[in-house]
Amino acid sequence: MRSADAELIARCRHGDLSAFEELYRQHASRLHALACRMAPTRADAEDLLQEIFLLAHRKLGTFKGESALSTWLYRLGMNVCLDFVRSRQGRSGRLTDSLDDEEPGAPAMPQTPPLDAVSRIDLERAIAELPPGSRAAFLLHDVEGFEHHEIAAILGVSAGTSKSQVHKARRKIRSLLGRPAPRVSGRP
Amino acid sequence: MSACEQYTDAIDEYVDGTLDPEGRRAVEAHLADCATCRTLVQDLEQLRRTARALDAPAPPPRVWAALANQIEADRGAARPPRIRRADRMRSSWLIGLAAAAAVALVVITASVVRLMERPHTTTEAVTTPASTGTTAAATPESVAGELQQAEAHYEKAIDGLQQIAKAGQGSLDPKVAAALQQNLTVIDQAIAESRAALKTQPTSEPARASLLDAFRTKVGLLEDTIALINEMRKGNSAGAARIVHGLKES
Ligand SMILES: [Zn+2]
Repeated sequence: MRSADAELIARCRHGDLSAFEELYRQHASRLHALACRMAPTRADAEDLLQEIFLLAHRKLGTFKGESALSTWLYRLGMNVCLDFVRSRQGRSGRLTDSLDDEEPGAPAMPQTPPLDAVSRIDLERAIAELPPGSRAAFLLHDVEGFEHHEIAAILGVSAGTSKSQVHKARRKIRSLLGRPAPRVSGRP
Repeated sequence: MSACEQYTDAIDEYVDGTLDPEGRRAVEAHLADCATCRTLVQDLEQLRRTARALDAPAPPPRVWAALANQIEADRGAARPPRIRRADRMRSSWLIGLAAAAAVALVVITASVVRLMERPHTTTEAVTTPASTGTTAAATPESVAGELQQAEAHYEKAIDGLQQIAKAGQGSLDPKVAAALQQNLTVIDQAIAESRAALKTQPTSEPARASLLDAFRTKVGLLEDTIALINEMRKGNSAGAARIVHGLKES
């Protein structure tokens, strides 16, 4: 554990609210971004963020420091977000089911020119259409910059699952951004 | 399995830079012969760059205010309210509000300037929280329709919030209320300017983004005003001070 984190956590455990506020200010923007991209509305995202940090405050005593504080917070945060999204969807989608019913995206036709500069607004929209599991993996890997073994720890899956979720998310986003729809397999 | 299928997983690792030298050489040999996979690589690189550039907007101050209240409530009502500390903070509110007004002005001015400078760019975009829209190619009609929907949504929200804020304004210090009103005027001006820009360029993405930005800023400010009124009514000066402090930082 970083010594600055250890010191901050120790102060938080002694009931120092200003220490917890410092912890909040260090991590709230990233977790807010995550919640905004997982939740359907901004109001939901704010509720989730509040829940995440309230839970963090209550559970800080159980944080042993085996992982970085940020990884611990992301794990807690992503669990809160996924629980919310899945309860809203009314289906107990497991991380591994998402997108699995779809054909793997076939490569684009050779003569297709590369995608024009992808605008952030279009990317946000495409991300919003991903199923929760692969959206979570994509956000952690491609937006937040975690490696697959870290994502495995955050999401409680294998590194292989993380890789395949990110792979599927990227192909799906690419097709949403205007690539030809995946071809049915078995074509010449 | 076709050659392309054989490389489909390796291409992700290639783009991520996590392949060992041998794997890398194998992918590069395939890319030299395969335009399809070269395009895929370019697309994925583009995607990664944009994904890493997505921003992380700071949450509005009311989230911390509500959180701090909840944490204090968690600790039980054993402790008496800290009235003395809150009284001391009172004078610093106005400083906070003046700073908040200045920050809001800078943010809005920047977005209007951006709009004026690059009226034809379509790739410059402002982040929106998880949008529910589709990614079908935008036509002028679909853009205008979507925007109208968003406007209607914001106007409805703003109407409701304004009524609540107006009804509760008596609870606020007159100087605080005046500073908030001044902020609202600045935001309304930005809304009017964005609308005017959209009239001349109905499909401009920056213009659309600026208008939605201004709406979001207004909703946020009204929500913070209401949260402030609530804290004042509850006599929770510490909670109110937190919101003002947050307004200063956001
Ligand atoms: Zn190929």
